[in-house]
Amino acid sequence: MESGGREASTWREGRSGMIDSYERVTGRVPFATNVEVQGMLHAVLLRSQIAHGRITRIDVSRAKEVPGVHTILTGADIVVRGAFKARFGPVFRDQPILAIDKVRFVGEPVVAVAAEDRDIAVTALALIDVEYEELPAVFTPEEAMANGAPILHEERPELGATFADILINRSGDPNTCNTFKVRRGDIESGFAQSDHIFEDVFTSPSVQHVPLETHCCIASVERSRIVITTGTQIPYMVRGQIAEIFGLPASAVQVIAPPLGGAYGSKCYPSIEPIAAALSYFSGRPVRLQNARDEEFVTITKHGVKIYMKTGVRSDGRILARKVLALFNTGAYADIGPRLIKNGGYGTNGPVSIPHVWIDSHAVYTNVTPAGAFRGYGISQAAWAYDSQIDMIAHRLEMDPYELRMKNLLVDGEPFCTGELMHDVHFRELLTTARDRIGWDWSAAPERVGQKVRAKGMSCIIKSTVTPSTSTASVKLNDDGSLHILTSSIELGQGVHTLLVNLASDQLQIPVGRISVARVDTDVTPYDQQTSSSRSSWSMGHALTAAISDVKEQLLSRAAELSDEEASQLEIRNGHVSVIGAPEQGLSYQEVVRRTRAGNIVGRGFSQTQGGLDPESGQGVASVHWHQAAGAAEVEVDLETGHVKVVKYHAGVYAGRVVNQVHGELQTEGNLAMGLGQALWEELLYDNGQLQNGSLADYMIASFDDMPDEVDLNILESGRPDAELHGIGETSLPAVMPAIANAVFRATGVRITDLPLTAEKVLRGLKALEAEGGAKNGDLTTPDGASTDGQKHVVGSVT
Amino acid sequence: MEGEVGTNVVGEALEVSFVLNGRATTVRARTHHTLVDVLRDQEHLYGVREGCGVGMCGACTVLVDGEPQSGCLILAVSAEGREITTVEGLEDASGELSDIQDAFVRHTAFQCSYCTSGFLLATKRLLEEIPDASPHEVKTYLAGNLCRCGSYMKILAAVTDLLERRRTVALAPTKEDA
Repeated sequence: MESGGREASTWREGRSGMIDSYERVTGRVPFATNVEVQGMLHAVLLRSQIAHGRITRIDVSRAKEVPGVHTILTGADIVVRGAFKARFGPVFRDQPILAIDKVRFVGEPVVAVAAEDRDIAVTALALIDVEYEELPAVFTPEEAMANGAPILHEERPELGATFADILINRSGDPNTCNTFKVRRGDIESGFAQSDHIFEDVFTSPSVQHVPLETHCCIASVERSRIVITTGTQIPYMVRGQIAEIFGLPASAVQVIAPPLGGAYGSKCYPSIEPIAAALSYFSGRPVRLQNARDEEFVTITKHGVKIYMKTGVRSDGRILARKVLALFNTGAYADIGPRLIKNGGYGTNGPVSIPHVWIDSHAVYTNVTPAGAFRGYGISQAAWAYDSQIDMIAHRLEMDPYELRMKNLLVDGEPFCTGELMHDVHFRELLTTARDRIGWDWSAAPERVGQKVRAKGMSCIIKSTVTPSTSTASVKLNDDGSLHILTSSIELGQGVHTLLVNLASDQLQIPVGRISVARVDTDVTPYDQQTSSSRSSWSMGHALTAAISDVKEQLLSRAAELSDEEASQLEIRNGHVSVIGAPEQGLSYQEVVRRTRAGNIVGRGFSQTQGGLDPESGQGVASVHWHQAAGAAEVEVDLETGHVKVVKYHAGVYAGRVVNQVHGELQTEGNLAMGLGQALWEELLYDNGQLQNGSLADYMIASFDDMPDEVDLNILESGRPDAELHGIGETSLPAVMPAIANAVFRATGVRITDLPLTAEKVLRGLKALEAEGGAKNGDLTTPDGASTDGQKHVVGSVT
Repeated sequence: MEGEVGTNVVGEALEVSFVLNGRATTVRARTHHTLVDVLRDQEHLYGVREGCGVGMCGACTVLVDGEPQSGCLILAVSAEGREITTVEGLEDASGELSDIQDAFVRHTAFQCSYCTSGFLLATKRLLEEIPDASPHEVKTYLAGNLCRCGSYMKILAAVTDLLERRRTVALAPTKEDA
């Protein structure tokens, strides 16, 4: 909103990129990891070393003898001695605070030790013996769904209070914890009308968020009062879960949520908080628990997914039908998987108009680390499938992939597969700009220099935002005219607090230096559903705006008490209350508050969206509006090594209205960095459930060296001053992986359908092409060498 | 451990003295404690942050005798007699931001900022070592510091701007202290 040109915009002066820039460059951001509480104990966890098994014996006797050890806790202790609930989870209460009877993944917390210092706790931990009787384990949804597969949760987990948008369908096999369906049109007639039918399979692996600040919390449990300071994206979820565990009213639980040192979805739902709270309950002391890096890798991950996609196309390129089977590996505990498969389910429709759609999307328990929210929220996996496939179809039909996308992209007024009509749609603008900025030319041959070859690719994606949802905000106008914002939206680097301050500054015309954001604390700051789903700018922005409108109304009626005018004759102008048409005689906010002895003026704001889907057909309203992005990559592939370098990337994203340009750029560039890793190398490697690369020595994330030489952004605005804010925290991420893969295909003819595009896979594909006798560039080849030319190519089956 | 559990299981603490942000400092460290441990736990310098614990991410970067090093790989006892600079030592005595910090602020070269201290300290040395660094050299020099939020382009802009400004100052005829 740095549009300028308004009268007397002095309140805009002094704005910087972030309201707490000073703290951010001086090491003073008060992260949860900095918190020290008097008398606190330090906790460490003994984690399962097997993927699936019964706990037959736990011996803590030697550990107890270590001086300085205060409390040692097992799941059995919680069940036997605890007067509280032993399991938690945001949808199903399936996750034990500490393993009870059974372990279900390598890394599951089994025993917790709290001691006077961390060294003592670690020493004691090494003296604990645990014995298991190993059970057969399953690591993929297909293994877990097979007849006779070992069952992870013998008893059906309790379904607790959860979010309004979550639909539960447990009609599947015992390891499938939820199924989401879309039924639109008549799928069989859609395929019957199609001239070509394409069946392909796409996989994306489990990856980890790698926030540089690991999970950390400090819990203090007293008889009727619990205080938890924790790095979380959803303090009200932590409050609700802790209150439920301990059987306390929500008002007895205080959750303090400091700014986060990165999250990307990993800090949405409780993980270590219940453990710290249980230790505090039993020890009577505050307890600090922080994940070490290797523990972070076994706390929460992105869902690994396999998607079978069958798409029917008319000979002119129009898509008529799509049938999808999506298998989401949700790990040993459901976390938010039962909701994510909904988004990742309808998400497989993609940004295209398809009359006949049939989607089955499953969340399946397996014996690996629980998977949950991850930036992109199921859409990265869905987009990997549909955007790769549309590129493959273009090649098979010998059409320009840009033209094929343009022919099918949704436009305003068309229905999505959920039946809702699209509005504020900008896919074509985004994709066309991407084409122009990358310099797309379908007829151009890949550019070869020595052993390196360059080519370009593009992508276009659609993402929802959680609907229905609720945000509330309060503001407090003080007697010196300064303002407090009370919000439970979490600052995790995305700049939400800065955005809210800028919005408030614009609406009340107060300089940003006179606006503060209160520390997020559920005792003080009002409810917000979640800081995720790229919803805060929009949802909390609306709540804040409503709170400020409330303050303005009160200011006008207070000011009317001080003047001869009716409130209706007054207006807020240039930071003052004045008579309409006579701005020179205004009263400052300070004068209004002080002279009416108001003390302060408190405004309350509420924002709620409506929507929801039918559980059987997936019809209804999935998203209050749609997030839209296009990507275009130019890659250089080393034909000798298979190594892929992204030399140029264009990211296009629809923002509606930009409030803070630099943050829009930062988020979009950040999505690129994260997408590069997921496109080219990021992957959690398991061997029989044992994570092989749970360290930053083995698991690489993008560094400066990996960034393209050229990064070009198109943060598209509607141009209307009243345009809706569209969150862009995640939107451009899902576009990155297919754009790169599509470019690699054009460069080499190697089509990779299983992420990531490692040098090994590319090289294997190149060798396979060679073996086929120098297939012409652009021929479709899978890494294992099977030709995928032809219209009825079948890799797997949807049904 | 051989079954013998006593008070010394976690080792004796030793006195270690070094110069910390220009001030003589003595801490007590067990032999396995890292520099990050003592700077955070005893000196309460929370700008020093562990990210990976294996020297890969650069979040814990401190300057040891002027050189950027991973604090998580340095045993505290080996810091004896060294000069250690953390992000808290970058401001001048009056609390004015250094030109490096100022450039990061002007370009918003951070998001969550957990990695920022490490980048600032590595940049300090980069400016001394390669005052005429090209963008490519900047990227290579700072490749040992990871930013998971991916603020790299803004960091590059901030460092490029700094290099430019320092060169301008150095060339300005009226300045003698550049």
